[in-house]
Formats: sequence, C-alpha cells, structure tokens
Amino acid sequence: MQRFLDPNVLAGISSLDLVAKTVVDGFVAGLHRSPDFGFSQEFAEYRAYTPGDDLRHVDWNLFARTERCYLKRYRGETNSQLTVLLDASNSMQYTSGPPRKMDYARYIAASLFYLAIHNQRDAAGLMVFDNEVREYIKPSTRPGQLARLFAGLEQAEPRALTDLTKPFKHLQSYRHRRGIAIVISDFFEEPETIVHTIAPLRFHGNDVVLFHILDPQEVLPVLNGSAILVDLETDRKIEVVPEYTKTTYRAKVDAHIEQLRSRARGAGMDYQLLVTNQPLDNALREYLSLRQAGN
Amino acid sequence: MGFLAPWFLGGLAALGVPILLHLLRQHRAKPRPVGSLMFFERGTQSSTRYRRLRHLVLFALRFALVLLVVLAFANPFVRHAAADAKGRLLLIVLDNSFSMRAGTRFADAKQQALAALAAKPHAQKAQIMALGGQFGVLTQAIADEAQLHAALESIQPGDGRANFGELGRAIRQLSETVHGPIDLHLFSDMQRTAMPANFADMVLPNNVTLVLQPVAKGTAPPNWTVESVDAPAVLSDPEDPKRSRVKAVVAGFGTPATSKTVALVVNGKVIAARKVDVPASGRATVEFAPLNVGYGFNRCEVRIQGGDAFPADDASVFAVRRSDPERVLFVHAAGETRSALYFASALEAAAPGSFVLQSVAAEQARDLDPSKYAFAVLSDAVVLPSIFEHALAQYVAKGGSVLIALGTVAAHSARIPLWGSDLKEVHEYARTGNPATVGQVDFSYPALAQDQPGHDNGGWADVKIFYAAALDVGPARVAARLVDGTPLLLDKQLGEGHVVLLASGLENLTNDLPLHPVFVAFVDRTARYLSGSERLSGSRLVDSFVQLRSATEPGGAATSIEVIDPEGRRPLSLSEARTMQSFRVERAGFYQIRFANGRDAVIAVNPDRHESDLEPLAEDVQLLWSGSSVSRGSQATVAAPIESTYRSVSLWWYVMLLALLIAMVEMIFASGHMGTPREEV
Repeated sequence: MQRFLDPNVLAGISSLDLVAKTVVDGFVAGLHRSPDFGFSQEFAEYRAYTPGDDLRHVDWNLFARTERCYLKRYRGETNSQLTVLLDASNSMQYTSGPPRKMDYARYIAASLFYLAIHNQRDAAGLMVFDNEVREYIKPSTRPGQLARLFAGLEQAEPRALTDLTKPFKHLQSYRHRRGIAIVISDFFEEPETIVHTIAPLRFHGNDVVLFHILDPQEVLPVLNGSAILVDLETDRKIEVVPEYTKTTYRAKVDAHIEQLRSRARGAGMDYQLLVTNQPLDNALREYLSLRQAGN
Repeated sequence: MGFLAPWFLGGLAALGVPILLHLLRQHRAKPRPVGSLMFFERGTQSSTRYRRLRHLVLFALRFALVLLVVLAFANPFVRHAAADAKGRLLLIVLDNSFSMRAGTRFADAKQQALAALAAKPHAQKAQIMALGGQFGVLTQAIADEAQLHAALESIQPGDGRANFGELGRAIRQLSETVHGPIDLHLFSDMQRTAMPANFADMVLPNNVTLVLQPVAKGTAPPNWTVESVDAPAVLSDPEDPKRSRVKAVVAGFGTPATSKTVALVVNGKVIAARKVDVPASGRATVEFAPLNVGYGFNRCEVRIQGGDAFPADDASVFAVRRSDPERVLFVHAAGETRSALYFASALEAAAPGSFVLQSVAAEQARDLDPSKYAFAVLSDAVVLPSIFEHALAQYVAKGGSVLIALGTVAAHSARIPLWGSDLKEVHEYARTGNPATVGQVDFSYPALAQDQPGHDNGGWADVKIFYAAALDVGPARVAARLVDGTPLLLDKQLGEGHVVLLASGLENLTNDLPLHPVFVAFVDRTARYLSGSERLSGSRLVDSFVQLRSATEPGGAATSIEVIDPEGRRPLSLSEARTMQSFRVERAGFYQIRFANGRDAVIAVNPDRHESDLEPLAEDVQLLWSGSSVSRGSQATVAAPIESTYRSVSLWWYVMLLALLIAMVEMIFASGHMGTPREEV
C-alpha cells in the first residue's frame, strides 16, 4: 500500500478525487486491520468514583466483581472543523522533478479533506492565499462540500508573492468555532514573522499545524558549477558558487527549519517538514493524532 | 626530421583559439529558477579555479586539429636511408670451409664482414649466411645490428668443402621470396676447387649484385697434403702382405719438387717414416707395410712432417680394426657342394685370413646359432629346419645379414626362407639356347661398387645366366637386372639386418659367374657389406652421412645410439639419439659410434682434399661471375664502403590524413556535447 502514498505515483493521477481516495484508503489500510479504528465511541480509561460523579457512568460489572466503584470513561465523539490554508504563491511552483511543491500540497490537502469528510464526518474548509486571500470555502459537512473543495484546489495555481499577514487577519474574521487549522506553505519568510502571524489562530483555541513543503533541491541543493539563480517570486537574479550551496546554504536552511519548528512548538503549534519526494502519510498521521488528542 | 616550409609554424599561434574557446566561453551559466533566494548569497568564483578547461576530449581534438593543420602546411619530412628506401637487402656470406683455416684467411674474412656490417645504414636489413660444408642461413633479413653481429661472430672455421654452386642455388631460392634488390657480399678465399662442374650453377638472379671480397691475395702458397690413404678397415692378419699395408698419396699444389718425410702414426705413436720425393705440383706414393696394429680399433694417421702454408691438411686419418678371422656360415642344399667351393675360393682369394667359411647342409643346420657368424649364406637351401629358420630370422632382425642364392633346387619349392614372398616362376634360359646376360648394374650398391665400371659393365656384361628365378620385388632394392628385366640381385632390409638375394646360383650350373674375375670382387664386397666391417672402421669425408639405424625399425623398440665427436662431445640430444636414422659427420677426426644393434665403431673423418688446393679463381672468372664491367673490378670493391645516402620523405599527406580523421571525430563529439535536444511534442 505504501506505493499509493508515493508522490511519484500520485503525480501520474490527474484527478484529485482519486488521489485523495487512493491516499486515504491506502493510509488507513496501512494503520491497522480495522479501518474504523479510532473513529467510533470507544473506551478510554477507568477512574475511581468520587462523590458527585454521575452514577450512570459507574461500571457495575466491575463493582460486582471487585466491590469497588469505578467510572468507565469513553472518548467523546464530537465533530471537528478542519480548515486548510494553502499557500499558492509563485515559489510553490518550484520543482526539481515531479511533483511540484504546489501539486504535493494539493495532494495533502485533498487527502486531508477526504479523510475528514468521508471518514470522520468533520466539517472541512479551504483558504487559498498568496499575498491576499484568493479563495475561501467555508468549513461545512454539506453534501457536495468535498467536490467544492477539490474544485478549489484545482483552481489554485501559483502566482504572486507570499504574504501571510493579510490572509490570516481575514481568516480570523471568518472563524468563530474552534477547530484544526493546517497551514501548507514553503514558508520562505522569517520564522519569527510566520509564528507571529499565525499564532493568533492558536489563541482562539484552534489546533494549528504547519506543513512545511520543500523540494529536495531546496534542502540539499546540488550545483555542478557556478550558476545564476532566479527567484520565482521576485525575478531577482544572483550568481551562486557551488561551494556556498554545499556549506553555508545547508546550514542556513537547517537553521531556518529548526527555528521554525522550535518557535512553532513554543507557540503551541505543530510543525511538520514535508519534502516532496517523501510519502504523504506523515501529514495524515499528524492530522489523526491531533484529531484523537481530543477534538 | 625537419620542415620544408618552417615559416608556416607561425600558425601555431592559432592554438590559442581552442584554448580561449574552452576557457572563456564555457563559463557562462544558464539562469536557474529557485523558489526563493532567501538563503542564497552572491558569490563569484576565483579566476584560476573558475577558468578551468571544459570538455577536455573536445578541447584535445580541436587542439590536435589546429596543430596538425599547421604542421601539414609546414610540410614535415623524415630522412630515410636511400638503400633502405629502395629495399636493398645486404646479404653477407662468410666462407668457413676447410681451406679458410690456412693462415689468417678466416680471421681476415670475418673482420671484413664485420666491417661491412658496421658500415651498413642503420635501417637497412641484412642477412648472414655461412658457406661451408652445408650452406647455413644464420639469420633472417633483419635490421637488428646486435643480432646480426652475434650471428657473424658465431661462425667458426669448419672442415667442410665450399661449393659456389650451392651458394648459387641458395641465392636463387632466396630471390624467389625476396623480390627486392640484394647486395651479396661474399667473403671467401675464392678457391678454384669450389667451382661446380657447370658454371650455370653459380649464376645468380638478376636482382642480386655480387660483390666478391677475396681474402687471399696474390698467388696461392705452396701446399702439400696427404691426398688419399689406402688402408684396410679390418685387419685379421698383420703378416698378410696383401692386406697389411698402408698406401698413401702425397700431393703438392703449386709446390716445387722436393723431398718430404711421411710418417705413419698409430694411436699417437710414429711407427714408421718414409722419405718420398714429390715432383713439382705432382703426386708421390708412399707405402707402409706391414701394418702392425693391436686388437680392437686403432686410430691411425699418415702425416707429412715439416710444415707448409696449410698445416691442417698435412695429415690424413683412418681407423683400422684388428680382429680374428670372422666365421661365415654357408648353408647349402643336400648334395650340392660346388657353390661352397666357388664361394670359399673367391673369399680366400679376395680377403685371405679375414673370413673362415663353415659349410653345412641345410638339414644339419638345426642346432646352429647364426649369431656367432659374421653373415650367413643360403646357397639353394630353400628348405630349412624350422628352428634354424626362426633363429636366422631373429639374427637378421637384430642386425645380421644373409645372402640367399636360388639355384635349381629352389625351382621345386615356391617358398623362399626369410624373404617374405614366394617364387613366381623360373626362367630357364639354357633350354632356349640363348643364355641371358646382365643388363643393368647399380654400381652405387656396396656389393657391386666400382669407381670406373668401363664399357663391359664392370665385367658383368660377359656373365651368362642360364637359370634365374623370378620373384616379386616388393620393397627390395634391385641392384642388378638381366637384359630381359628379371631382377638378378636384390637387397631387402629386415629389422636391423639385410637379406641379399641372388636370383641365380653360386655354382657354375645356373650361370658362369664363378668363372669370371668379377665373381671374386663380388664375393669380396658382398662379404664386407654383409659382415658390416666397412661400416665400423675406415675413413670417410667430412659431411658424409653415417646410417645409425634402419628406417624400418619400430618406434617402440627404439634403442639409444651414442655418438662421440672428435672433441669428445656428444652431438646428439637424448631424443635424437633414440630417433635419428643417419648422422652427418661435420668435423675432421675420429668419431666413436655405438649403433643400435650394440656394435661399436670408430670412424675416421677427413676433410675433402679439394680444399687443399688453395689456388683462387681466375680473375676473369671472378669478373664473369660477379657480372661486373671492367670499371668495377672485385679489387675495387674491397675497400669500397657501402653507400649510405639519405633522401627526404615528406609526411604532408599522412599529417593531412590524420587531421581529416581528427576533424571527423571532433564533429561527432561536438554534436554529442553541444547539440540542442529536440523538443518533445
């Protein structure tokens, strides 16, 4: 099943719907034998009875055997609200080989939507942004929501610059209910600025996850000789020597990732680095773990 | 190497073009998109590291192309030796015959040959040959001077006889494979006796230029030699006045009349000396009698005392074996005694005391052991006791010899013992009243050998044959035939031995051979041939062959033969000793041989006495042979150095060809490296 999560395989599938179904079914089948694990009301723990507790939750069978009074606790089954914030700036169209970062981000978003709506009965919404909000689909569980979301993803072609400030302010004005907010971006911005911009979402009680999408060449670039590099967003050009990419660049990228991770954790957000040649299950696993944590 | 147009070398400055192209043009980098320049910093590579040659193979090809084109315009050339360019082969032939031992002839010839070799242009090919008893090709046509020098140095004076006819034949054979011109330098004493009987044998092919390098100057020095020695090879009675004597002929070549002392040396001791007057350039005979030698092999020598210009030929060696009279077994048919009488009389007359005849009737031969006899004679004895016949067959197989004479009794029995084939028919010429005569006689056959047979067929023409048996010849050698073609004398080899068959009888009923003088000579030679005594001692000439074993000997039963040459060395390798059938004696002196049948022999070997005549070829003959005109005499060529001119060979064509080749390779490489990939639709 692992091959269904391979980005190279998914790049050959044109329909996002099919990509999402393939990924999610493959992922779920890979977790355990039962695809329903974790999605129904289930036993969580025993707790000693204290006065004032509801007697309906006492496990009388256990009391009959042990003459001790314990409460049986279950995981609550509530519907959560998932909002994916997808960066559609020009830098997301970079690729050193299929898939593009944008496509990879689409696969993740589509898989999350499918998992949320089809398996979890959660409400799911999408916000596509660059330096402003390009499209916003409100979270909903209505029939046809999944199709709307997929259509939104299809239309999200990279363009313009990245600016997180405006879209996040916009989002805060729309969101009133707590839920899970997943930001998918390459985060070519100072970590301080990113966390500062996104942190207000967390303050409203949302679980925020940063999916940091990078191409392998952006993590470990290989230059055979000096090259002139062109910024996809600003069209700025500079000449770079191979020695730089082997040493300083890698240190800077590593520092950037580490800083972003630590600052995000510090602000109570989860952070996940996703390189486009890795399988998609890390992203799905992250979502499920958040979902099980109590949402 | 040089350049015919060196000013074009200025074009080498164009070599900078590919260097500049590959250093400067290739560093232009293509713009490459990245998601963000956030983590990149501007950097410029240092000029030395940055300006590195790219596409090294392509650069090398372009560099070589420019270089070759410039070189082609400069027109390079190399200097080639003219002789080599014309493909002339220098053929050095050094005479190492016996006569070259006289004085310093051989040393001089070798020195001149080495000088000629050293003077040859380095690239010219040369070949070394030795003209001695056998024409020896020591090297192939090569230019390696060290190898040629070593081959020339390895030639040592020999004891053979030079023959310019052989040289002519060898060069004619060589010119069939070497089609270019050949310069033949012959370093020799140009002995007159080396000329073949026919001058045509010496003629060289058209592509051979003969340069004679005679080492003997002026007239030949006076030289005396022991020309021949007549001595018995086997001696049974030293007191026998007929056989116990040594007759030597002393000859002088270009000598004045003088008196010479000739000594007979036996086993290193002078036992007799005679003074003999030798006429001017003439011959004198000296005789030593009796010849008192001990039993066994005696190494004898007749020596002229007092030196001359060529001391090596002053002695002639021979070996004499003294033994008791050998017994001959004569088996005759019952009641037939005439043949024994005639045979014994002839044997006694020819070689008194050498053989003792034991005559027995066929039916009494049952218990006789043939191996105790020198040879056996079956005179009309075709019916033998089977035990004796078997013993006789074993005896022949091990090297014994048998003479079979078929008389009248043989007509009644078709089978001939030992011979292996049956009697076909009997020719009774007496009944027709017209007796047959002997038509053909092979005088090279040892039992019939005669030096000068004469018009009467060596005495055989008068012999009348009344009765002769006809039989299948098979592999036998026919030594004599009757006029109607019926074989009269046959020789067949069986194992190591021989069976000689006379198709008529040994008495005077079937022919009148016993009544003719030739019968005595025939019996004498047949007895010597069959007893093998001639093989075991006596003297031979250098380069003659000694038969070591029969050709029909089975391979599995090979026994070793031992040969010790005059220097005491064993010239045969172990494998040769087990397989060789004949051996060429190439050194003068005494050879000691142990044959396959276990019999020992000491054979004296003398150089051919033609070599003692040191008279050189006449000047006009030399000129005729070398095909020279008057202006190019042989004397003039002695000191003439071998021409070593050089000529220039232009390499323009080859350089251009190479440049073209490199240009094509460069195009292929360049299209591979620089080509624009096709857009996929």
